[in-house]
Amino acid sequence: MQDLQRHITSRQELEQLIERYFDGLTTVEEEAALRACLARCPWHSESIEDAQVVMGYFAALGKYQRHSAARTTRQRIAGIAASIVVVLSVAVFALWHQWQPMDECVAYVNGQAISNDREVMALVENDLSSIGNASQGMTAQLSSVGEALELDNE
Amino acid sequence: MKRVTIIILASLLTTMAAMAQKGLNINRLFDGRYKKAVGATEIIVTGSQASEIGLTVYHSVSVTDKAQAEIIEHLVVKDGSQAIDKEVEYRNGQLYYGFYTMQTRKHNNRYIFFLNQNLARKSPKNVVTLIYMEGEASAEKIKKLIRK
Repeated sequence: MQDLQRHITSRQELEQLIERYFDGLTTVEEEAALRACLARCPWHSESIEDAQVVMGYFAALGKYQRHSAARTTRQRIAGIAASIVVVLSVAVFALWHQWQPMDECVAYVNGQAISNDREVMALVENDLSSIGNASQGMTAQLSSVGEALELDNE
Repeated sequence: MKRVTIIILASLLTTMAAMAQKGLNINRLFDGRYKKAVGATEIIVTGSQASEIGLTVYHSVSVTDKAQAEIIEHLVVKDGSQAIDKEVEYRNGQLYYGFYTMQTRKHNNRYIFFLNQNLARKSPKNVVTLIYMEGEASAEKIKKLIRK
């Protein structure tokens, strides 16, 4: 690389190297030599100034990207932590929702929804009445069995 | 890191689902299958209306379909085997009436009622009813409620 820098002895040579750089034809060593030369360049021309600006930009971008990588990792961790918090919150809410059932009063009869409270509660009473009759029937049966046993023991 | 995140999320969701289904076998009957079913009635009462009858949850299903009735009876008997108290009557080898007091849940008493009116002696009807009740009411109070 030092040899290359020594060979850039004229503005023309430098501009040719700059042209090769922008055409993507330079090697890594040539690029490094170009950068070094531009940093303390005694010559001035539009292409030399353009190259100095671009090289300067890429140098700054390199620093930014290294800084960004570290930031990205931190952001990623924060993102994962936030996702976990969200999922936990949803889970807690869902469980709490189970513990605290919402106000609901609805019946579905033959696929038709009934949301009138009075009608729904009438259906509830019908349910309870049927169950109650069966329950009373059972109790009555037990009572009659009990009576029969008492009579038998007399 | 991405794989770990996915595993954590999947575990949490699975746990949630498992906790939601924890409890009674009859819960699966309340998954909405009877809301559009012909010949079926589903009643859901919670909140203020339920508290008027001393409950936090009243949920019943009545079906006329024989296959569905058998499923209901099977699940009720399964839950009934874990009841802490029960009153049951069988007729012709089938469950006619069942009143089960189940383990409490979050300080609420839980009851299951079952009635197969096909087996009623007076005026049999082609209806099988399952009722799930939850609330602070004692078993005695519930019995008074149904016998009103």
